[in-house]
Amino acid sequence: MTNVLPEPVTTIPNPFRMDYTYVAGAGRSMFLRGLAERKLIARRCAGCGQVYLPPPEFCSRCLTELEAPFELDGRGAISTFCVVSFPFPGQRIDPPYVVAHIQPHGAGTRLMHLVREIEPEDVHIGLEVEPVWVPDDELDTSLLSISHFRPTTEGGADA
Amino acid sequence: MTGTAESLSAPYTVEFPFERTVGPTIGTFLGGLRDGQLYGVRTERGVLCPPLEFEPGTGAETGELVPVADTGTVTSWTWVPSREGDPVPHDFAWALIAIDGTIGALFHAVDVDGDSGRMTTGMRVRARWRTERVGQLSDIECFEVTS
Repeated sequence: MTNVLPEPVTTIPNPFRMDYTYVAGAGRSMFLRGLAERKLIARRCAGCGQVYLPPPEFCSRCLTELEAPFELDGRGAISTFCVVSFPFPGQRIDPPYVVAHIQPHGAGTRLMHLVREIEPEDVHIGLEVEPVWVPDDELDTSLLSISHFRPTTEGGADA
Repeated sequence: MTGTAESLSAPYTVEFPFERTVGPTIGTFLGGLRDGQLYGVRTERGVLCPPLEFEPGTGAETGELVPVADTGTVTSWTWVPSREGDPVPHDFAWALIAIDGTIGALFHAVDVDGDSGRMTTGMRVRARWRTERVGQLSDIECFEVTS
């Protein structure tokens, strides 16, 4: 008996998709609302002195409520970075580009953001950077209110 | 802190457009679905449907792929409300279906017109094939009652 088999299929689409709602919480909502006004809002823990940017409501070490919010100007130093050279689906920026952990001066935590206006090969740990904000009409309750960070210029942190 | 407005929230979507390779055995099984024919694979214990490259119990390589019926018996089921993207537009059952003449269990939807009272283990079902088939498990729209 002959058994003529069908032409095999080699691949099938196997997409992964998850829709969800991000809830920022009271502490981070204050931080996000600050971003819409070009403000970087931090808070300190009275117990251990840690300064959080962005701040939650409670210190993750002491579990005590953080002190009153205050502003930082966003200037800081690169603590580590990565040159992204690899394209991937959904990528918004043409590689190569630099993504860095930035420790803002006065904060004990780091922000992750783009570093531009410098060649990737010139970026190094310890490089002083400052935030570049988007135009007023693009400001939002989002870290995208900061377009990117760039090497600190003399004068102001904004241009 | 100062008078806290309510928390911000935002919709997010995580999506990866993966494709996966299926291997020769499941590839032929899916090719059969595209052609409107269900296949099983010969093993020492009998014909396994849906087929696998290796016997789950012993790890032994499985043998020849053979056509099987598109009818079977529900061995287990769970009633679910229909959601977007589901194979049936009203409430239905996800079921394990023992295809006639085979061992194993095919996991698929059973459509009983939204009436969970018609679902029983041991019920007889038949595949409802799509007219346009592409070589995926969804080429069988669902199973429907035959008796």
